Amino acid sequence: MSAFHSEYLVWHWPIAFYLFLAGVSAGAMFFAVLLKHLCVKDSPHLSGYIRAACLIAPVTVMAGLGILVTDLTKPLEFWKILVFYNPTSVMSVGVMILLVYTVLMFMWIALVMRPYIDEWSEMHLPWLQKITQWLSNIEPTLTGILVILSLSLGAYTGFLLSALPGYPMLNNPVLPILFLLSGLSSGAASSLLGGVLLHGNPDSREVKFIHKIEIPLILVEIVVIFTFFMGLVLTGGQSKIAAMNALGFGFWGAVFWFGILVIGLSVPLAMNLFMTATAKRRWAYVAATASCSLLGVLMLRHFILYTGQLTIA
Amino acid sequence: MDNIRRQFIKGGTALVAATSLYLLHDAGAQEELPQTKKRYALLHDETKCIGCNACAEACRLTNQVPQEVARLRIERTGPYGEFPDQYYRFTRVSCQHCEEAPCVNVCPTGAANIDRSTGIVSVNSWKCVGCQYCIAACPYHIRFINPVTHAADKCDFCKETNLREGKQPACVMACPTGALMFGDLEDPHSKIVAALNSQPVYRAKEDLGTHPKLFRIRAKAGEVSL
Ligand code: SF4
Ligand code: SF4
Ligand code: SF4
Repeated sequence: MSAFHSEYLVWHWPIAFYLFLAGVSAGAMFFAVLLKHLCVKDSPHLSGYIRAACLIAPVTVMAGLGILVTDLTKPLEFWKILVFYNPTSVMSVGVMILLVYTVLMFMWIALVMRPYIDEWSEMHLPWLQKITQWLSNIEPTLTGILVILSLSLGAYTGFLLSALPGYPMLNNPVLPILFLLSGLSSGAASSLLGGVLLHGNPDSREVKFIHKIEIPLILVEIVVIFTFFMGLVLTGGQSKIAAMNALGFGFWGAVFWFGILVIGLSVPLAMNLFMTATAKRRWAYVAATASCSLLGVLMLRHFILYTGQLTIA
Repeated sequence: MDNIRRQFIKGGTALVAATSLYLLHDAGAQEELPQTKKRYALLHDETKCIGCNACAEACRLTNQVPQEVARLRIERTGPYGEFPDQYYRFTRVSCQHCEEAPCVNVCPTGAANIDRSTGIVSVNSWKCVGCQYCIAACPYHIRFINPVTHAADKCDFCKETNLREGKQPACVMACPTGALMFGDLEDPHSKIVAALNSQPVYRAKEDLGTHPKLFRIRAKAGEVSL
């Protein structure tokens, strides 16, 4: 298929999946924190949605890292990225963020699951309770840093591409914002989907809470996508050509107009508004809306990566 | 709750402060860079170039570049003009040894580097993990993965071969028409500085702010007739 090949293509679909997975993880963690502190408050370990987010965030970030490593031409020398740092490299700083994020994420999840851990360790490893006690002493600090790191991780997936001066569509200051927002909404969607699959009540306050945030999030996302392409068109030259190549007729144009704008943004927006207006939240509604959203974000990552490398400066 | 919020903010502030300190530290470090002693550059006189490819072949031989990839290519465009006065243009495609090199900026391990004493951009193939970020970042699209070493590779002005032996780069030595000139921009008496000062030259994609050090003299109509 020629849509997946072009003369100056360097990064292929594994990178799109990596960017997608890192975004999902960051978003899921962000919403898990919000749910715990602003919505559920007590016994967060019993909420299906927080549980889902606590499962999704580590799995996706590990899978993303796995893809990143196997995509290197020297996968076994991955450790060199950890040993040698380059402060001007977005990738180097991103890996640093990713590592600290992963550690803090596990600490935070341990806190949420503390009742289970304490119950188990009482019988088997009593000293483990000292650690969980210490964790809960530092919880506010931990949470604050984790929130900032998850937002940084979401934005990093965009900065990674916007640091490429040779591709006018990628070298765009709006890209990190777009990736952050879509990453957050993919995190919300995956928590909802995971939550209902883990038998969370589809009509619970968590779902209402997330939907209430998702509606403005999708609206802002649409505005940002518009800004992104308007910026390119108004810049003129190769930037304008890049925008036209991406949005015009052909495979990627169809992916954008139908896949991203209709399935990924409009359908979830309409469904969210419908569910809010009628106060009817069924399993199938929630799951279908979340799936559309997730699919949309996955398509957006591929679309930006491939069309971004189509036109050079 | 108030206490919790304060701690929460404290954690966040600490992180932001640490990051800014880190960035400041980096900014300070860059100002203290020692002056580069040499600043090697190359001039390709497109009016003299006949597209014979001797430079590319010499490069391959000297630097043992595998067949399926190339550090240096001569790109032919045209023919231009009306028959029988037709001619081709030849453009050198190779690393421009940018002073603000995007490939160096993005490399996570520092494998892609600028040699401080010569201004030559090269790759430490041992440090390279093959993430291909530099290949995507180079606006001139001249980097590639070497199929033997699995590391990123490109022209290094023969830093490890001819320069080490005190010779000119292989392409310069091989060129039958003297279309290539190599020299030090820091030396005001060098031939290349004189050549750059005495005629109009251009560089590719200068608007990207990369400060390339591959200079070119534009081919004029009718230089190479068919
Ligand atoms: S031409 Fe490309 S590889 Fe060479 S220094 Fe510039 S950015 Fe780096
Ligand atoms: S491929 Fe090698 S040289 Fe290029 S950015 Fe990655 S580690 Fe650096
Ligand atoms: S060897 Fe000289 S004349 Fe021949 S292609 Fe190279 S630069 Fe041109």
